[in-house]
Amino acid sequence: MVNPVELDGVTREFGGVTAVQDLDLTVPEGKFTALLGPSGCGKTTTLRMIAGYLAPTRGRILLDGAEATRLPPERRNLGMVFQSYALFPHLTVAKNVAFGLRMRKAGREETRRRVGEALELVGLSHLAERRPRELSGGQQQRVALARAIVIRPSVLLLDEPLSNLDARLRVQMRQELLNVQRETGVTAVLVTHDQDEALELADLMVILRDGRLEQLGHPRDVFPAPASRFVAEFLGYENFLTVPGHGPVTIRPEYVRVLAAGEEPPGGTLLSGTAARVTYRGTDCLVAVRAGDQTVLGTTAAEIRPGDEVRVLLPGDRLIHLPENAPVPATAGDTR
Amino acid sequence: MSRRSAGLLLVPGIALLAFGFVFPVCAMLLAPPEGDAAGVAGRLGGMLTDGYVLSIALRTVRIGLITMLASLLLGFPVAYAISRAPARRAGVLLALSTFPLLLSTVVRTYSWLVILGRNGLLSGVLTGLGITAHPPQLLYTETAIVLGLVQLFTPLMILSCYGSLSQVDSRLEEAARGLGASSGRAFRLVVLPMALPGVAVGSTLVFAGAVTAFTTPMLLGGTRQRTLATLLYDYASVSLDWTSASAVAVFMTMIVLAVGVLTGRVGASRLGARRARKVPPATAGAAGEGAV
Amino acid sequence: MRRRPLLTALCALAYLFMLGPILLVVAVAFSGGDTIHFPPEGLSLKWFGKALSQHSFTSALGTSVLVATGATLLALLVGVPLALAVQRGRLPGRRVIEALCLSPIVVPELVVGLALYQQLMVGLRVTALGTLMIGHAVLLIPYAVRVTGASLAMADPMLEEAARGLGAGPVTAFFRVTLPVLAPGILSAGLLSFITSFNNVPLSLLLTGPGTTTLPVEMLHYVEFSFDPVVAAVSTLLLALTVAVAVVTERLIGFNKVFGR
Repeated sequence: MVNPVELDGVTREFGGVTAVQDLDLTVPEGKFTALLGPSGCGKTTTLRMIAGYLAPTRGRILLDGAEATRLPPERRNLGMVFQSYALFPHLTVAKNVAFGLRMRKAGREETRRRVGEALELVGLSHLAERRPRELSGGQQQRVALARAIVIRPSVLLLDEPLSNLDARLRVQMRQELLNVQRETGVTAVLVTHDQDEALELADLMVILRDGRLEQLGHPRDVFPAPASRFVAEFLGYENFLTVPGHGPVTIRPEYVRVLAAGEEPPGGTLLSGTAARVTYRGTDCLVAVRAGDQTVLGTTAAEIRPGDEVRVLLPGDRLIHLPENAPVPATAGDTR
Repeated sequence: MSRRSAGLLLVPGIALLAFGFVFPVCAMLLAPPEGDAAGVAGRLGGMLTDGYVLSIALRTVRIGLITMLASLLLGFPVAYAISRAPARRAGVLLALSTFPLLLSTVVRTYSWLVILGRNGLLSGVLTGLGITAHPPQLLYTETAIVLGLVQLFTPLMILSCYGSLSQVDSRLEEAARGLGASSGRAFRLVVLPMALPGVAVGSTLVFAGAVTAFTTPMLLGGTRQRTLATLLYDYASVSLDWTSASAVAVFMTMIVLAVGVLTGRVGASRLGARRARKVPPATAGAAGEGAV
Repeated sequence: MRRRPLLTALCALAYLFMLGPILLVVAVAFSGGDTIHFPPEGLSLKWFGKALSQHSFTSALGTSVLVATGATLLALLVGVPLALAVQRGRLPGRRVIEALCLSPIVVPELVVGLALYQQLMVGLRVTALGTLMIGHAVLLIPYAVRVTGASLAMADPMLEEAARGLGAGPVTAFFRVTLPVLAPGILSAGLLSFITSFNNVPLSLLLTGPGTTTLPVEMLHYVEFSFDPVVAAVSTLLLALTVAVAVVTERLIGFNKVFGR
């Protein structure tokens, strides 16, 4: 099987700054790959190199197995959805969508049919003759998506496509994006800084840090086993502890039980401390416990007040060991 | 866009600017054609000690300053009113103050001949009301020049001030009043400081425009009330003394540049030059030159 | 809104001062007398007839239109690429180039006119018409660069990339996307440039001579020597023309967008 995108030791420098360093990555066919990381991690630079808007300083890019490192963007047959949507303001929705087909010299009849299908897929057939500025953000987003997939790209590239939408619409559009990808079976590469978006959409999650690969794998494999404190923090872990007999670990607050005085511990590692802050959350309470020089977040159903002496139970099977600054083994299911 | 293609795009423009602007201006200043021994710099030095030229320079600067102040007094209230008017009316008022800028300077200055001329409107009114049988000389006075220039440049001042004022949220004024400021104080403490960059830009443009204006001093000041611009014209086309004309040109340019640098500094130290520079990109230069 | 009688009065005064004199010119144009006189002596159209039949005015009008058209086209032709390179080129020394583009505004036009007269007309023997066009084009470059630059700055720089990604080569992307998106800005710049060139006096003044004179300069010289209302009639015609341009502009792109902002 030929992989749609392969990066081989790709490095990109801007002036003296290295944005992406020695990146190897294989994008699996027909899957949703998410490049994830905080701003400045090199994810957008990577996407722009795949698209052909930036040339790598070193390394090779293969598209469908063929050398494409220096190929100009118009000869790559990729569909890109921009963060700003980049819809052509002087063209109608239909003509925006038709643009790529026109460049490919598709016939009039075929263009009409495929534009119609693409607009139907994103549910905008009724707005075909409008101009982009007359549409809402969500609608513009859909036009951008239709314009990118109508050319049947070998890869659909998505550059933070949902970041300009409000929170509720963003969640709704995620599902639509996923539906379109599943329905067309197109290989998709998404750039995002939103871990929820990546968790929900991705088949392969690629976490970048300072231009280097930090961890990659399926969300179901990555989330419960962050390979470093960086990944854990990025995925929303909050407890970073040093536990006797275990070393540096992290654990989600839901798994940490805070025991009031007199409660019987069912077994596991125990820390003693003082409740510093108690937040009522409806079904339970979130408690911040000062234990020695560290703070542990845990939950409890018992009545605990700030200042109470408490014990904290850390179930051994929920503790995630964090090798401090250890190199990351970059292997996962469907990548090499 | 690659750097190379960007560089290629620059070529025709730079070439035209070099041939039609940089070369002639530099050549004029560095190499006077008749091989005049004193040269432009020498002639300029002579002018700086010449009472006649100095009095003309002084008059030019005086006219520039008065024009600037008067158009500010007239223009600022209009700009403020436009910035606070409802959108539709603001559009009409803005268009009305922009429109004169599209009209030839000659036409606009000509109207003052109609008003101030020997049998013009003003002398007609004065004699008609029996105030005087022999109306005073109105034309070819410094006042006439100032009147003409103020009419010419007030629209420019309005647009510059409006550029800043339109960015002052009217709710800021309301907030200040809510905090206990009287409307006068709210205006002074909130609106005025925020309007300053536009005022600075407008004042610079008007001063520079008034100092270098030619048509208006020519028609309304004549030979009796020379300014540097009409003096330059005299040297260049009547007495054909190009070295002197060039010297006046340098003198005039230096005055304009000095004021530009000065207000540029003031603008930069206040509220940042960024906003000042943002003021009407089209009109700032447009009208400035078109009106001269 | 609160009423502010003082502000309203000040505004009325300002508008009267700006627009009133122009209307007086119209009144004079319709007068029947032989000199500018108030109140006008009788009503007639004879000055319009005289204005339109006077060869010096009609030929100057022709020159003005020719120079303004040529200079505007020339300025746009070199100015739009300048704006593109400055805005999108990521060039080193961008500030210097920008300053150079805007520099003709800094030097008084009369001075530029003198320099062009000495160096190009007398020095290099360029014709009056050629020198006028070059001089006006140089004067208009700052407008072209600034106005197109402003609309370029407002356009999404990703548009060209989007076009490239969809299969358009750099040239196709420019003509299919960049240029159409910039069209309103270029049109504004062109209109502004034409009017500026058409009305210019100080730059043209020293470059015109017998045979090649622009309309405003011809009017200026006429007024210097004669006090009859012909120029009022010409002014009225120009006023009508300007109003027409303003109205058409309002219909097409919005008056304030072009001239006010």
